[in-house]
Amino acid sequence: MFLNTSRLRNVAAMATGVSFLALSAAWADEVTVWCWAPEFNGAAMNAAIAIYTAANPDTTITVVDFAKGDLELKLQTQLASGTTEGLPDIVLIEDYGAQKYLLSFPGAFEPLTDVIDYSQFADYKVALATVDGQTYSLPFDSGVTGLFYRTDLLAEAGYDAAALQDITWDQMIEIGQAVNAATGKPMFSLDIGDSGTIRIMLQSAGSWYFDAEGNTNIVDNPVFRSALGTWVRMLQTEDLYKQVSGWGDYTGAFNNGDVAGVYSGVWMTGGIKGNNMSGLWGVAPIPRLGDIEGSGHASNLGGSSWYVLSSAPAKESAIDFLKTVWAGNADFYQTILVGQGAFGAYLPAREGAAYSANDDYFGGEAVWANFSEWQAAIPGVNYGIFTNEADAAIAAQMPGLIAGGSLDDAIAAIDAQITQQIQ
Amino acid sequence: MTVSRSVSRANWNGWGFVAPALVLLGLFMIYPILWSLWMSFQTGRGMNHSFGGLANITRLTQDPVFLRALGNTLIFLVVQVPIMIVLALLFAVALNNPRLRGRAILRTAIFLPCVTSLVAYSVLFKSMFALDGVVNDMLLFLHIIREPIGWLLDPFWAKVLVISAITWRWTGYNMVFYLAALQNIDPSIYEASRIDGVPARARFFGITVPMLKPVILFTTVLSTIGTLQLFDEVNNITSSGTTSGGPADATLTLSLYIYNLTFRFMPSFGYAATVSWVIVLLVVLLSWVQFQFAKDR
Repeated sequence: MFLNTSRLRNVAAMATGVSFLALSAAWADEVTVWCWAPEFNGAAMNAAIAIYTAANPDTTITVVDFAKGDLELKLQTQLASGTTEGLPDIVLIEDYGAQKYLLSFPGAFEPLTDVIDYSQFADYKVALATVDGQTYSLPFDSGVTGLFYRTDLLAEAGYDAAALQDITWDQMIEIGQAVNAATGKPMFSLDIGDSGTIRIMLQSAGSWYFDAEGNTNIVDNPVFRSALGTWVRMLQTEDLYKQVSGWGDYTGAFNNGDVAGVYSGVWMTGGIKGNNMSGLWGVAPIPRLGDIEGSGHASNLGGSSWYVLSSAPAKESAIDFLKTVWAGNADFYQTILVGQGAFGAYLPAREGAAYSANDDYFGGEAVWANFSEWQAAIPGVNYGIFTNEADAAIAAQMPGLIAGGSLDDAIAAIDAQITQQIQ
Repeated sequence: MTVSRSVSRANWNGWGFVAPALVLLGLFMIYPILWSLWMSFQTGRGMNHSFGGLANITRLTQDPVFLRALGNTLIFLVVQVPIMIVLALLFAVALNNPRLRGRAILRTAIFLPCVTSLVAYSVLFKSMFALDGVVNDMLLFLHIIREPIGWLLDPFWAKVLVISAITWRWTGYNMVFYLAALQNIDPSIYEASRIDGVPARARFFGITVPMLKPVILFTTVLSTIGTLQLFDEVNNITSSGTTSGGPADATLTLSLYIYNLTFRFMPSFGYAATVSWVIVLLVVLLSWVQFQFAKDR
């Protein structure tokens, strides 16, 4: 009896010692990643982690998932506070905000210029993360846009895939109204406060809120005028859309089958594939601005990249992880393309089989080849560093515009507000 | 000789006892306040800032968003504080009536909102007042409205919603002050006035309100400060995604604007500090006005 207890105690002591060892070993190589969208960024990251930890069992990589807005606020607050405790090792940053962080918080992010071969990544993604000749990101996904639609609902209204080719936004409005009349379901879910549609339209015509020098490009910009006017017309057409507020409402509407489609970045695939409606979805190019010469059907929405914090305790492991998987494993990109619609900026991956394969979820169409083609056609623009400010200025004018306010007055007010905010 | 020595020793002892508190106060209160004053003269982006003189004050006068935020904050102040103070006063007098049954339960019910978690109630309000939320469903069912009200989407109704929310939350809090003060009014005054045949309404305006004047002043000043700093409700209920100030910036307050300038937009710490000093000046000014007003009468 006595003997048993003491033996037990020995075992317990040994076990404790072993677990301490394990703990200290793990401590050295514990990488934390912050990202948003668990079904997309999180899933892609977890796929990468599975590959890396299979070869490096000593490294533990944990994904912490936030809402995108919360992550950005938390990151900016923490960087502004000057304390580095609690920051992750790797963080996901959306392309629109990349330059803002790099310029506002010099020294906070680790330059990867000497570690990563950037010639293997799409040029525009590298340029977005380059400041003073140093590149800071591991370029992740493109936000090449597409019009995702429910083939069954559109068929009910008499539209097939060909009917969505080469159309304008105003034709899209008519189609949407016809779909609603035939099926009782609105075409889209739209959030008045989200200016994403305007960003898609602007870039589809090679324009942006700012010009190449970073000056406000609002007044006397025919593309902006056309985009804003089109967006207002869409919101004024009440039978075109279901009015939503916030991201959860917005994605919920098409995931629940309340609306017949969504136009967005290719990354929306992750959400669309999550709702078990295989064969019922199709992808068409986005409509173009009818009254703008040179506006096309290819644009970009969102897209983001991974950044390593200079203060990260497990910096070496984090960089090695990004380098090994994200900048060296073309097969990995095939997995996340089909699974999540993660359209990587890693060029060698484009040669892979998945990029030319047909996808059964989208009715057996060669959607990835289409996205590749549209990706190549996206006009390049300079996002600058004040996208949030511009979005806020537009959102402030929307209710007045929908109520029938003057487009010219609104454009002047938006311009005045942005110009004032970006000093 | 001995007396003066013991006095000086007592002095030192006294200072010794308050020293830790003073040091903490200086470190976490006075130093940051002075630092923010210094910051308000800095301009620049993010961590790269330099002394800009009065540039931020010039920017303030030309900033349409700041003027909108200031206007909203003042509207909230002018509309919400009187409604809440009057409601709280009426509730307090009603619940002070010893003949009223279930007083304790009613008092608790009215006080309860101010101890609920801010985020929890904001989330609840957000879902209750959604386009297809409980409130619209009920109003439609009762045929009070014909089509759902865009509480979170329409600039006017968003303001109404925020005012209702903060009134709901803080009326009970102010009521408790009045209830406590009412206990201090000598019942014999009421008795005498009743014997003299003073009607109830005149008793309320002639006795209760004047006797409560210091407490009314206190709660008004407190509510004014609270409303000037209004942030939680507008951030959690009406702002979503890129509409960082509610529909058409209708519920953008000064505090929310400071937050946006610091954490949501390109961080502009100096300018944000300038806006926060505007709040300080407003608080000082309005409190002074209220004290003068109370003194004269």
